[in-house]
Amino acid sequence: MPGYGEDPEWSDIVPLPQDDGGPNPLAAIAYSDEYSEAMSYLRAVMAKNEFSERVLRLTEDIIDMNPAHYTVWLYRAKALFTLHKDLRKEFDWLNPFALRHLKNYQIWHHRHTIIEALASDLDEKSPKIDNMIREEQDFLDRMFTKDAKNYHVWSYRQWLVERFNLWDCEEEREAVDDLLRKDVRNNSAWNHRYYVVFGRPNAPKNTTEGHVLMQREINYAEAAIRIAPQNQSPWNYIRGILSHFQQPLSNIKSLASEFASLEKPDEVKSSHALDLLAEIYKEERQLDCAGKAWDLLAQKYDPIRSRYWMWKKEQLGTAAA
Amino acid sequence: MSLVAGPGRGGHHQPALPDELELCVEKHVAYIKSLDTRKDEYEYWLTEHLRLNGLYWGLTALHLLGHPDALPRSEVIDFVMSCMHDNGGFSAAPGHDPHMLYTCSAVQILATLDAFGDLEAHVNGGKEKVARYIANLQDRDTGTFNGDGWGEKDTRFLFNALLALSLLGMMHLVDVQKGVEYVQSCANFDGGYGTGPGAESHAGQIYTCVGVLSITKRLDLVDKEKLGAWLSDRQLPNGGLNGRPEKKEDVCYSWWVGSSLAMIDRLHWIDQEKLSKFILQCQDSELGGFADRPGDMVDVFHTVFGLAGLSLMKHPGVREVDPIYCMPKDIINRVVGG
Repeated sequence: MPGYGEDPEWSDIVPLPQDDGGPNPLAAIAYSDEYSEAMSYLRAVMAKNEFSERVLRLTEDIIDMNPAHYTVWLYRAKALFTLHKDLRKEFDWLNPFALRHLKNYQIWHHRHTIIEALASDLDEKSPKIDNMIREEQDFLDRMFTKDAKNYHVWSYRQWLVERFNLWDCEEEREAVDDLLRKDVRNNSAWNHRYYVVFGRPNAPKNTTEGHVLMQREINYAEAAIRIAPQNQSPWNYIRGILSHFQQPLSNIKSLASEFASLEKPDEVKSSHALDLLAEIYKEERQLDCAGKAWDLLAQKYDPIRSRYWMWKKEQLGTAAA
Repeated sequence: MSLVAGPGRGGHHQPALPDELELCVEKHVAYIKSLDTRKDEYEYWLTEHLRLNGLYWGLTALHLLGHPDALPRSEVIDFVMSCMHDNGGFSAAPGHDPHMLYTCSAVQILATLDAFGDLEAHVNGGKEKVARYIANLQDRDTGTFNGDGWGEKDTRFLFNALLALSLLGMMHLVDVQKGVEYVQSCANFDGGYGTGPGAESHAGQIYTCVGVLSITKRLDLVDKEKLGAWLSDRQLPNGGLNGRPEKKEDVCYSWWVGSSLAMIDRLHWIDQEKLSKFILQCQDSELGGFADRPGDMVDVFHTVFGLAGLSLMKHPGVREVDPIYCMPKDIINRVVGG
């Protein structure tokens, strides 16, 4: 492809070279020739506030070379709005780009801006909104096939749930189920499930109905624990649920005992279960047993944190007093 | 300051690792000083959007290594000032847009160099101008801060804002109470914090949230046992720390996790000897610099956070770091008081 300097479409523009802070600067910026030229044309069009088709192509070119350049993204969004472009078409370019650049978060900020703009033009009840959300969910599922723990993508998904009130949308829990079937240790997916079930504005309360839900979620986590007892995510999930409903840990004593028992100190299958058991013993005022469990963790099952376990054991003295 | 990776690899020049690894101070100093001589490399311009962050990382690393004058002071200040905009914000490099992240780095650099006077000399009323740029990014309804005029929110920006404003002595310009409440709303069921309410706990975000509560003297709001348990659970058998459950270890989490534990006075809950050893295994003992983990390419980001991690654990040869500001402790004492 010829450079911008030889392209007749750009002949009216005088490129602006980089000013990097005076002569002989400490952090002078050097460029590859191609990037350097494109940037000098961008500076020139920005200086005269030009928003045009060729500016859109220029921003695509630069973003392609350096997707982390946040200024270019902002200018592109401005251009799209100023030119009243059909914003749905933006995804034809953005989606394959996002699938190629997994670590970049400007993409997600840009997407957020575009979706927000599209939604603000539509009635909240319009079927077009539902279609747009469905397409977003499908695309996010595709992103997760590349990196199922991508923080930017999960943050975006949470924004989508909150913005479009998707708390009861089946697709959200299905997406999580699907990811946990592939990798039961995906903490991001566990977090999303918690967000959808308990992070909602009308979070379940301590009622009969709430308790049905509590049991459903505990059962869900229990099934995951049976697949991988040493996976801390479902254990944390259950603790979070019990604390949400202000229930004692002893509710799950039998579950913890299945994976850790003081009678069989050599057959502990999960350090998380052992810690939970210790706390249940503490709740039940069986302080000796609690201390023994934490000793086991300090000495055998999680020695790298022995000082933490010993601290917990010391607290028993305070509890006894 | 270039963020170009390499040339060295962490642990690469130690085929048989000795039991007692030493910190190669002079090599790291030489490595950081060399970064700006590499402008002809392809990667250099790819990291332009981080340039001011990079300068802060390099400068802080040199201070922690006891070589505070290794970069020419006046050139550093000139470059920082060339990134300042009329609205009081700083961009990553000249010609980029101003943003909270770089404004925070600029203030940290100027504070480290005792250069607020230079800021005033360049721009009359400069300190207040910078502070007002930051203050204007606060959403007065929620207490959060935008990163720039475009409305992206993240607990990082809230931390950046309060950190910079406290260095400038201008916290009174913002609604601190609202900011504290927002951080509280980001506390998760597992004891950690994320980028916003309900977002997955992440060690980097925990650092920023606990940092906000430290600066505002509201650590009483933290469930220290639960958070300390989650944070100490980040240590893996090889001594290194990860940032989320079931993720790989990385030297930078020595800082995010370590500083958070230090702020809530629980650093002793991890095995510091093993962590120090892991960090030292990530250094290139011949060409200088630290990598994310042994065998990978070194860079200045992992170099400063590896050193800062060692500093938290009082490793010999490293100056004391402040666990909130990630700047030398004596400088924080000078700027904000002990």
